[in-house]
Amino acid sequence: MSLVLEHVSKNFAGHQAVQDLSLTLDQPAIFGLLGTNGAGKTTTIRMILGIITKDQGKITWNNQPVTRKSVNFGYLPEERGIYPKIKTCDQLAYFAKLKGMDQASAAESINHWAKRLKVEEYLNLPAEKLSKGNQQKIQFIAAILHDPDLIILDEPFSGLDPVNTELLKNVIIDLSKKGKYIIMSTHQMSVIEEFCTSVLILNRGKTVLQGNLREIKSHYPANRLIISADEDITKFLNAAKLKIEFNKNLQYTVRIPNETAAHQLLRDLIQQNVTINEFIIQKPTLNDIFIEKVEQ
Amino acid sequence: MKETFIIARFTMRDMLSRKSFRISTLIILVLIVLGFNVPNLLQTFAGDNLDDKVLIADPDEIYGQHLDQLNETCPNCDEMIISHDNADIAKQKIIDGEVSSAIIVQEQDNTLEFNYLVKNAATAAQPPQDIISTLEKVYQTAAIEKLNLTPKELASISPTINITVSQTDETEISGNVFVMMMLSIILFYAIYFCAFQVSSSITTEKTSKIVETLVTSTSPTNIVLGKTIGIGIVGLLQMVLFVATALISAHTFLDSTMLNQIIDLSKLTLFLGIITALYFILGYFAYALLYALTGSTVGKPEDVQSANTPVALLGVISFYFAYFTLTDPTSSLNLFAAIFPFSSPFCMPLRIMMGLATPLEVFGSITILIITILIVAYIAIRIYSNAILHYGTKPTWKEIFQNFRTK
Repeated sequence: MSLVLEHVSKNFAGHQAVQDLSLTLDQPAIFGLLGTNGAGKTTTIRMILGIITKDQGKITWNNQPVTRKSVNFGYLPEERGIYPKIKTCDQLAYFAKLKGMDQASAAESINHWAKRLKVEEYLNLPAEKLSKGNQQKIQFIAAILHDPDLIILDEPFSGLDPVNTELLKNVIIDLSKKGKYIIMSTHQMSVIEEFCTSVLILNRGKTVLQGNLREIKSHYPANRLIISADEDITKFLNAAKLKIEFNKNLQYTVRIPNETAAHQLLRDLIQQNVTINEFIIQKPTLNDIFIEKVEQ
Repeated sequence: MKETFIIARFTMRDMLSRKSFRISTLIILVLIVLGFNVPNLLQTFAGDNLDDKVLIADPDEIYGQHLDQLNETCPNCDEMIISHDNADIAKQKIIDGEVSSAIIVQEQDNTLEFNYLVKNAATAAQPPQDIISTLEKVYQTAAIEKLNLTPKELASISPTINITVSQTDETEISGNVFVMMMLSIILFYAIYFCAFQVSSSITTEKTSKIVETLVTSTSPTNIVLGKTIGIGIVGLLQMVLFVATALISAHTFLDSTMLNQIIDLSKLTLFLGIITALYFILGYFAYALLYALTGSTVGKPEDVQSANTPVALLGVISFYFAYFTLTDPTSSLNLFAAIFPFSSPFCMPLRIMMGLATPLEVFGSITILIITILIVAYIAIRIYSNAILHYGTKPTWKEIFQNFRTK
């Protein structure tokens, strides 16, 4: 199975929402879709799901054009929504039936996922009685209960407490291990770094960066140094023309142009008999790369 | 199609489980039952109301023994208290509250004079014409009897008068105007308010963001049609419940004579029932799909009313157009109202009831209505597909048109 987008574009009344976007998911994995607000992420997702039609390009799933019927997908939208007055089990059964499940298999799947996500005690309550986090878990169940091949998760962890975030993370990792194709759109870069093997960064509808996350990061030189000492080393950092980003209790986070500058600083400090407690040269985070690409 | 019915069933369950729907239905049912009990209630509360008692005073005994025939001659008149009291005693009885009014009968120079005596002439009603006519009639009978006429002579001076009504129009109209007007009003309210629910349901789903999940689960066509069918079935059942309650209440609580005067049951045929149900369904679909269109363009609940205004205006104007042209049902305007798709559901069933509609007119009207529904459905689903995921300010007409053109 593979999802392929080739030169996909979408225009809304003169506004180019997505421009010449191409990506390939040819093996089960978690793919990160990043971008600023209004970058075209939701439009891209909606085109993949077949909710809106593309103006140009080709979107295929298993070499077949994507239509609402041809792809067994699950979608957790960023805009959370749930029928407030209806029992959660009834609305989950409703979405399961719309996805083609029969009554028995729908009930089995609902019970399985409710237990896994620890919401089984809320199944007979109207959704309005549930906390925001539990409503979000119910909506997550609605996205996956029909065992979809392709799962699109838009900001899956927003609004969840750490315990529930961990719970959901484990489910997503399990789904990936079971061979599901997962596209995750989020602003939480740490989540992308933790989960995704490949990413695509959109800015104003254009693809500004795309590829394997490890390879992308390997192309970027180290840009940050974390150093802690027994005394104030500000004068040495200033002498080396290094910008201090953060300084607390004699622990400094410093921007470095490359690794050589960090090595030179270390030599200078040792020469001056400064006691170094910590010296870490860091590669740029995805957050750094994202900001750099978006601001270009 | 299967998904359409899944949505229809879910929509029905959703509507039936709403407290507001159940309470409003119950209130209307209670009002219907109470409405048919109004005559009984008024009688119960009024008791022996003095307003109904009229003293007929004949101090000079002009009527002789014929005075006792008054109540038998006019059973529907207010209760008449027969006496030979003079004007002063009658006046005192009114002051004492024994009767509400009195008619003092006197004869002067072969002229019969009725003096209508009331407590306050400014606030009192006009002299009761039915009692006055009865007094005249009984007086005339008594006078004729005094002449000792033969039956033949009597028949010659008091002929039996038969009144028949004829018309110059070639087309004959049958049916009861009251029932027709009621049917028109019921159809309008049933269609209008059920259709409005579609808009409300779509807007609620949009503003609660559930639509994001829904449109990825099924197509906009299934959503719009499923909702329309689901709400329509609930609306139809509600209307049947109201009409059945009204008919049962009418039979149970109304006097059968009064009921027969109001409703000519012979006109309520199975064919008319089927045609009325068909026009309800088609009319409902036409308006419901228009409301689906306006509902999908709204992003905020407070914009629903203004977005629905054009459809509401179309409905009200079409209803009044049909309603007022029914005052002259043989006119070309009424025929037009029965053919025009947005007014035909309020008009054509009544023309059929009156025996005015030809089969060709009925067929043409239904065909035009179905074509209109298909066109409206196409436009509504297309705009729904593009507008349903747009939030924020209410779109302009230009933007709605662009939504229609966007693939």
